[in-house]
Amino acid sequence: MVTYLFILFATLAIAAALAMVLNRSTVNSALFLVLNMLSIAGIYLLLKAQFLAVVQVLVYAGAIMVLFLFVIMLLNVEDEEAVLDKINFRYIISVILGVVVLSYLLYIAGSMADALPPVAEDMAQVGTVEAIGDELFSTYILPLEITAILLTAAVVGAIMMAQHKFK
Amino acid sequence: MVEHIINSISHLYPEIAITLTLCVALIADLVLKKESHAIGWIVLGGLVITGVLVVAQTGRELSIFSDMLAVDPFAVFFKIMLLIASVLVVLFSMQSRELIDYVDRIGEYYMLILGMILGMFLMVGATNVLLMYLAFELTSICSYVLAGFTRRSLKSAEASMKYIVYGAVSSGIMLYGISLLVGITGAVSIYGINEALAAGVEQPLVLLVAGLMILVGLGFKIAIVPFHFWAPDVYEGAPITITAYLAVASKIAAFAMTVRFFKVAFLDNGVDIAGALPLVDAFNWSVILAVMAALAMIVGNLVALWQQNIKRLLAYSSIAHAGYILMGLVVLTDEGVSAIMIYVFIYLFMNMGAFYVAMLVSNKLGTEQIDDYKGLGRRAPLESVAMTVFLVALTGLPPTAGFIAKLFIFGAAINAGWLLLVLIAGIMTIVSLFYYMRVVRNMFLFEPQEEAGLLNFGLSSKIILMVMLVPTLIFGVYFTPVLEFARNSIQIFGL
Repeated sequence: MVTYLFILFATLAIAAALAMVLNRSTVNSALFLVLNMLSIAGIYLLLKAQFLAVVQVLVYAGAIMVLFLFVIMLLNVEDEEAVLDKINFRYIISVILGVVVLSYLLYIAGSMADALPPVAEDMAQVGTVEAIGDELFSTYILPLEITAILLTAAVVGAIMMAQHKFK
Repeated sequence: MVEHIINSISHLYPEIAITLTLCVALIADLVLKKESHAIGWIVLGGLVITGVLVVAQTGRELSIFSDMLAVDPFAVFFKIMLLIASVLVVLFSMQSRELIDYVDRIGEYYMLILGMILGMFLMVGATNVLLMYLAFELTSICSYVLAGFTRRSLKSAEASMKYIVYGAVSSGIMLYGISLLVGITGAVSIYGINEALAAGVEQPLVLLVAGLMILVGLGFKIAIVPFHFWAPDVYEGAPITITAYLAVASKIAAFAMTVRFFKVAFLDNGVDIAGALPLVDAFNWSVILAVMAALAMIVGNLVALWQQNIKRLLAYSSIAHAGYILMGLVVLTDEGVSAIMIYVFIYLFMNMGAFYVAMLVSNKLGTEQIDDYKGLGRRAPLESVAMTVFLVALTGLPPTAGFIAKLFIFGAAINAGWLLLVLIAGIMTIVSLFYYMRVVRNMFLFEPQEEAGLLNFGLSSKIILMVMLVPTLIFGVYFTPVLEFARNSIQIFGL
């Protein structure tokens, strides 16, 4: 089961990443990026890193991508296109064929069931919120503080760069 | 844990001092008058205090914040180098004519310079790949913005843009390499990585790929061939003060990080350090580094021959110098490391000096073209003589300090048996003589135009010039102190 899911998520992540780069429409690109991030969140879940998966969805797929889409849609609005207009017989056939081929590939890949090593028991403990908080404020306190300076510098820099007019 | 953190903080005073100066500079910008250089003086004060705190760390050798950061003689040496470079750059900035037009933003300018200093201080001491990456990124982000600080100039905007794109790609590749390395060794501190590698890894190929990817990021910061493409355009477009800072300080910090990372993570501690061998037999780091060093020397020096702009010329020359310095790392012995430190020490003064004269000329004449240097020997005698000394030192001829620098690094490479590499370096040194001397020839062998009078640069600029000129000359003759300083500072924590 885990192998099926892993291969599904991994394929999806790579395909979405490719589609994002190759797509002409910026909005579609952004949506593919969301798909890519969601599939990576799925891989995190398989690795039993719940916290990371939730943060991935909340922060990346949620907050950051919404901002992305907002900016794209504000700057670059295209004419509305109804999805239904595009759909014809060939699309339906190709989608069905695609699903069949994909599930067949997954079935074959799944027969190599032991391809993935199991996640170690103590690794599963590491992924919890408590464990991460503990580490962050003891062992990793210095990098945490440096991140604060890094963000300050980035904000100052971004404001300087973005200012349209100055004397 | 709490005791450990509190104890660690007491060894972090220099970094804390910089962070406080950073905050003060940012706030002072809102309060003080911009024209009076007040912020510059505040920053200088902060740097002097930091200097005292760094010197107070001499002789300590310990690891703080759960193996995040090492405080050892090696780090202290490089912190002192970085501070000297930073003080000089702040002094340059107060005189730069380019920056006067942007006086409204000068608080942010100094704030970002301080951010860079903090990042470089951490790069020098970081012993954990996470902190290494964060420090690297802090330095980079500040320098991207600084490169585009003079925004009304198109070249500056271009420089910033190119720097960001190259920087983002290469640090992304480095981050991927780091994650692979952490994946196969299961450790984030470089001591842990060393232990895991010593115990043997199952996937040597992944280790090779990870190592190469990390080298991409480090090579970008050092500006070594083949990751040097950004350097000429960025150096040309950025304000001269920032160009000097990128060519000297961020390069020095990246070298310190590379040396620490390679020596601690990849060398077998069981073997005698002086003849230490790389851990992984399947992969010969020395050869890869040697090829990169040779390419940097060849490309840097040959392309410099055709440059018409003094900043571009110095950019290619700094690529070539990165090649010479990398020779010390190829050797991977203590002798090589101390040669790197001697080189860096002298490189700091001679390169900063050359950039300073270029800045003075650009302030007065508004030009960076080498052709416009014609007849400068009559119009600005002291500055022209100083420039000649700096360029002779960069070539590596006696009696200047540049000769000593090259002597030790070539010596270390010869002792380790890298004769071919030294041969290339020697030939390329002769090539470099041509383009350095072209500037000197323009200054002294041409008559100035009729209407051109004597240029007056003022007393303060002459004093700053002396601060760089005197060490460049004195250490060429009396170099024992540099030698002692470098040899006493090679102790890296954990080796």
